[in-house]
Amino acid sequence: MASSPKASTTIKAVFHRDFVIAAFAAFLVLFPAKFMAAEAAPADKLSDGDKTCLGCHGTAGFQKDLGGGKLLSLQVAGDRFAKSVHGMNGCASCHADIDLKTHPQNPKAIASAREFSITMAKVCSGCHAEEQKQYDTSVHAKLLAGGNQSAPVCTDCHGVHDVTPRTAYETCVGCHSAAMDAHKKWLPNAGLHLEVVSCAACHAPAAQRMVDLRLYDRVNKKWVAEAAGRPEFENMARAADPGGHGLDAIELRRLMAQINHGDAKPHTILRGRIELRNAVEAHQLAGKDKAIKDCASCHRQGAEPFQNVTVSILSADGAPLRYKAQKEVLGSALSVDSLREFYAVGGTRSTLLDMLLVLAVLAGLAVPIGHQILKRIVKKQLARDAQAGAPAKPDDHGGT
Amino acid sequence: MEKIYVHPLPVRIWHMINAAGFVAMLVTGTQIRYVGLIDMMSFRTAVTVHNWIGFVLIGNYFIWLLFYLFTDKIKVYHPELSPTKHFQASFRQLQYYGYGIFKGSPNPHHVSAYDKFNPMQSMMYQVVMFLLVPLLAVTGLLMWDVQGFYGAVEFFGGVRVVDTVHVLIYIFFAFFIFFHVYMGSLGHTPTAHYKAMFVTGYEGVEEADTAGGATRQ
Repeated sequence: MASSPKASTTIKAVFHRDFVIAAFAAFLVLFPAKFMAAEAAPADKLSDGDKTCLGCHGTAGFQKDLGGGKLLSLQVAGDRFAKSVHGMNGCASCHADIDLKTHPQNPKAIASAREFSITMAKVCSGCHAEEQKQYDTSVHAKLLAGGNQSAPVCTDCHGVHDVTPRTAYETCVGCHSAAMDAHKKWLPNAGLHLEVVSCAACHAPAAQRMVDLRLYDRVNKKWVAEAAGRPEFENMARAADPGGHGLDAIELRRLMAQINHGDAKPHTILRGRIELRNAVEAHQLAGKDKAIKDCASCHRQGAEPFQNVTVSILSADGAPLRYKAQKEVLGSALSVDSLREFYAVGGTRSTLLDMLLVLAVLAGLAVPIGHQILKRIVKKQLARDAQAGAPAKPDDHGGT
Repeated sequence: MEKIYVHPLPVRIWHMINAAGFVAMLVTGTQIRYVGLIDMMSFRTAVTVHNWIGFVLIGNYFIWLLFYLFTDKIKVYHPELSPTKHFQASFRQLQYYGYGIFKGSPNPHHVSAYDKFNPMQSMMYQVVMFLLVPLLAVTGLLMWDVQGFYGAVEFFGGVRVVDTVHVLIYIFFAFFIFFHVYMGSLGHTPTAHYKAMFVTGYEGVEEADTAGGATRQ
């Protein structure tokens, strides 16, 4: 049966209405997804001035010919700069010498890439005066002052435009690649030492050290990092330490149980590291002849590194967030479980075990002394019995 | 007095090495743990010596183990499976050391090549040789290379647990060495057991028809 024109119009109208609703629904569903997927690139957050700089300096292969076949890369990875700790500072904060009226028409005379790095590193002290002061006393600065152009300046360790928090070890072995083998020659458990002791803890001997107990994911084998904008760790630590005196052994156990939701097999544990109390002091690195080699610097009760203890988590940007703990947690019998991964022989020994040892030695001495006293008492008694003419007691002790 | 050969040469060699090694391990272990309180040698020297002697003692343990596994002398370590008999015999032995020995009573335990330990010695040496010494060696080995044995250290519950077990056994041996040396002097002469264990292998046994018992090691 043929449909009437009116019916056909009605069907079209219904189809049209359904299509519009479906399209609108799809828009509502898909647009946010599209919007989220197309999250702004980190470099988009930079200021317009910085974006202008990146207009040229963000170009791949942008470089300067220094003559004699030497080239200096002028390219800056915008995204990495934006994500670095200096991303918010902007280009001009370090490159204040650039005058846009004359740049790039009148380029700087640069003798070599290395000389340019050494010159530019001086800019860092504008903000990091204390670090510079410490660095000036270091073996690195002395080598540089002695004319060694290869001696490290700020940017050699910290990077240029992509400065982010990194561990001392990965920074140091960037140049000192033979460090592990060199330590293995004299240091027992060298691998473990290099894993849990910050390089500067021994190589900056005048610095003050501490123990940092950091949250570690033992299942996924990585440091636990806090989600951006959610300071849960500090809130939990504060809640576990109502007195605000630093976490004691019981409070630390409670905090770890809370972090692990009371699981018997904890997912998250604490790994201890010897680090500097003030990271700035890591810049005063001494020559290796002055580095701490005396094991007793740590492996002794009351050693300086164990006087200050923190519990920490990595923040979203990779820097540690620390909360104070009491130094007694290191030797407490209650810490066997919560500090299962940190123990420095001789340095963090348990007082309870010390007391047990004293009791054991006293008990050991008491055996010969006590037995000899008993011998005298029994013999005197036997002698008295003999003198009194009493018959000896029947031997019912050792008979066959 | 009758002489019975109860300490075969491999056992005497094992015991000599073990005795010297244990003293050295206790001394270096104490130095390692108590730097500052005791300064006989540097921490590093103490650790190096402790590690080397530790390996010697692990090897030495196998002299003892293989000897007993491959000879019928393993019977000296067979436990008394009847608790009643064991505790009655232990009580008699305690009475002997607490009283009988002073008045010259015979030792209730009769030493023979296949039964050289009194009931309390037997129990103690089973615990020492099959539990404490292996556990001491394993925990020591794990701490010698914590990183290399990370999986095993984790299995035991972490380096702090491993160290605590090692130290608890060290504390036991700090007691045991006094006890053991003193008990060794309670033979029919003060040096009889020492001579038998370190030199001759022969224990003097009082003849049954005169005393009805025998001294013990």
